[in-house]
Amino acid sequence: MALFETRGLTRRFLGVTAVDGVDLAVEAGELVSLIGPNGSGKTTLFNCVTGYLAPDGGRVLFRGQDVTGVAPHRIAHLGVGRTFQLVSVFPRLSALENLLTFLQQHQEERFVGRLVRAPGVRRLEAAAVERARSLLESVGLGARASAPAGTLSYGQRKLLAFAAALMPDPELLLLDEPAAAVNPTMIEQMKAQIRALHRAGKTVLLVEHNMDVVMDISQRVVVLDHGQKIAEGPPEVVRRDPKVIEAYFGR
Amino acid sequence: MIDLLEQLVHGLTLGSLYAMVATGLALMFGVVRLINFAHGEFYMLGGYAFWYAYARLGWPYPLAGLAAVAAMGLFGLAYERAVIRTILSRTWHVQLIATLATSITLTNLAILAFGTQPKEVPTRLSAAILDVGGIRLAWQRILVLVAAVVIFAGLEWFVGHTKLGKAMRAMSQNREACAVVGVDVQHVALATFGLSAALAAAAAALVSPLFNIFPDVGALLTLKAFAAVIVGGFGFVKGAIAAAFLIGLAESLAAGYVSYAYKDAIAFVVMVAVLLVRPQGLFGRRIGI
Amino acid sequence: MRGARWAVAGAVLIALPWLVAAALPGQQRYILHVLVFTSLYGALALSYDLVVGHVGSLSLAHPAFFGVGAYGAALLATEARWPFLAALAAGLLLAGLAALVVGVPMFRLTEHSFAMGTLGLALVTQIVATNWVDFTRGPLCVTGIPKPQVGDFRIATLPGFYWMGLATLAVVALLYHGLTTFRLGRAFHAVRDNETLASSAAIDPLRYRMLAFTIAGALAGGIGALYVSYVGVLCPGELTVSLSVNLLVMIFLGGVGSLRGVVVGAAAFTALPEVLRMAPTWRMVIYGLLLLVIVIRVPDGLEGVLQRRGARWRRSAPEA
Repeated sequence: MALFETRGLTRRFLGVTAVDGVDLAVEAGELVSLIGPNGSGKTTLFNCVTGYLAPDGGRVLFRGQDVTGVAPHRIAHLGVGRTFQLVSVFPRLSALENLLTFLQQHQEERFVGRLVRAPGVRRLEAAAVERARSLLESVGLGARASAPAGTLSYGQRKLLAFAAALMPDPELLLLDEPAAAVNPTMIEQMKAQIRALHRAGKTVLLVEHNMDVVMDISQRVVVLDHGQKIAEGPPEVVRRDPKVIEAYFGR
Repeated sequence: MIDLLEQLVHGLTLGSLYAMVATGLALMFGVVRLINFAHGEFYMLGGYAFWYAYARLGWPYPLAGLAAVAAMGLFGLAYERAVIRTILSRTWHVQLIATLATSITLTNLAILAFGTQPKEVPTRLSAAILDVGGIRLAWQRILVLVAAVVIFAGLEWFVGHTKLGKAMRAMSQNREACAVVGVDVQHVALATFGLSAALAAAAAALVSPLFNIFPDVGALLTLKAFAAVIVGGFGFVKGAIAAAFLIGLAESLAAGYVSYAYKDAIAFVVMVAVLLVRPQGLFGRRIGI
Repeated sequence: MRGARWAVAGAVLIALPWLVAAALPGQQRYILHVLVFTSLYGALALSYDLVVGHVGSLSLAHPAFFGVGAYGAALLATEARWPFLAALAAGLLLAGLAALVVGVPMFRLTEHSFAMGTLGLALVTQIVATNWVDFTRGPLCVTGIPKPQVGDFRIATLPGFYWMGLATLAVVALLYHGLTTFRLGRAFHAVRDNETLASSAAIDPLRYRMLAFTIAGALAGGIGALYVSYVGVLCPGELTVSLSVNLLVMIFLGGVGSLRGVVVGAAAFTALPEVLRMAPTWRMVIYGLLLLVIVIRVPDGLEGVLQRRGARWRRSAPEA
């Protein structure tokens, strides 16, 4: 059973079929890239599978469970993490608090216990802070833990969003263009982070335009064009596929 | 049967009023994506302007009406310049609170200037009754309906055939593209406010002889106009007009057959009912003037 | 030592009736009367700020919940002879229930529609209160609302009501603090600042909006019940849209989303017109203009001004 699957996923917008009957399967532990020319439906697909858009047809399965049309917060609770194309953080909170916000729903919530700061609660909080700090360190933001997220640079916010998505230790991580609008050094850092995740056994599905990144780190590549899957396979095979070449250049 | 027909006529009168006010609100939302909570006060001030010209200065009815329309047109321009321009770039919270604050200020200034007693402005037409097979209706009501139709037809022509009108339509569909192409966005916004205020004043001049003018009239009117805008599908003017007539008729029938006291709640009930079933409004998804 | 400062401030506030009697003998009644209003308004503004400042929903329905609680308690006390605590509890519960019931459909509306929908609710509540004369007495008002009494203990003096108001404000402030800090506060603020991102963090925006809205509504109802026990009379004119405007002025003047800011805003708002002896209509003109200027120029209110001066991030102080 694949960890994550779409079957015949379809989504239309005002007459345009953005996602057209896409079958996509990702096995646990895989590192898969989703590529395609602009407007091929990649982000729409992301939004459909994470609950932000309701599909017009088809199904989405996570761990064999049908999660089609389920609300985003519930999908997140099931163990799916994601980042957004336009980098998204909580600007008024510190970097540390941003991360804490991502963990709290996965910890048990006992209001009264929190009010009186019972010992068990304090231990949980301390553990959360510990984890947040080490994640920030691992993306190189350790020194900026107390800085309001709104004061960080674009690249730093991208790393922060990346760390935040990792905070609840999701089984499946969906990354929307992690290498976009980011300088080359940062790209290398991103690639290293993603590879590290892969080695740690996490399942990663990323949407990306940067071909170097895609070819370099992916185990498998899926190609969309006009909402349809036109090719699938190891990077080397896909890059030579005539259909793929035509989709990108034959316009 | 007579009763029902009279209620229907009353409903059409109300509908005309709500439609004219809602059109202004929808135009403003369409062109600059802003909800003007003080819109009802355009009507209220237009009504007082009309009363002043007609009852105080003794001008003939058409002249007094045009004077009110011109005065409010200018007021709309001033309002856009003074208040709206500063809040256009802000979040909708700020816009809402700012226009709400303006509404309260204008309402209370009106109380100070004119007192809380309603002003009556009877005209020859509101006193003259037409008897059609047992149905008695004031000639003014016919004037209201005819004038409304003429105004909407005029608006349609304006939007389709004048440079300014076409710019308004274009802006309601894609503001960014307009700025790029060279449409003077600020100029169009200014004109839209002037036009909306003038429309409200026209409604006041037409309808005040039948209903009275009082400082609080704006609040309920804004709500009902907004209900029409929502029910019609945000940003779609023709939808707002249709919805306004629907609300006017519903209100009149409810007042006649359900309860007079709660008639004002009908618009709200219709709005919530439609929104729960069809959140995009009856004609939603269509944008444009 | 922060603890010592709180203790001193608390002692001063409790001893205030005597301090005022000593310092301004002729004015004691008047000052205490204003302070009762200040503390009740302050509590009401705090409850409103939970919705506006902390989950970012611009609701205009607060007067409706205040009204439900006020009328519920008033009618139960006068018609059914319910004792004070029971009537108060009823006010809280009825208003909370009302908020729960209307919240669900309201939160399906977005932005402007939500504001308008809640405004419509407030207007409809006022219309019903005015016209359902058989039940609410309409413009004739509910009169003879009994003073608070628990067993043999009765609040009938101005100092007594002042302490009641003070206690109310303290309780609401404590609750406000608990709700807006720690994890719950983070969840509220996440929903307010970036709903899409909050969803991806497994935070259910509707759940937290409803939580804030319902608690705020219940509190408004409870304060309504206390208010009528002080004033003794309840008329439909108490539930107007003006109340929302007043609350907005208080919150934005003082500092939306800040405990200290809102309380200061409420104090300034209730004290100033008393000091200036303004006529009600002029008062509303000034408030309207004030709100307009504040929301455009100084949206952070006094608290924001203070914070920029001090350059400290007190509002989002990490609790971890």
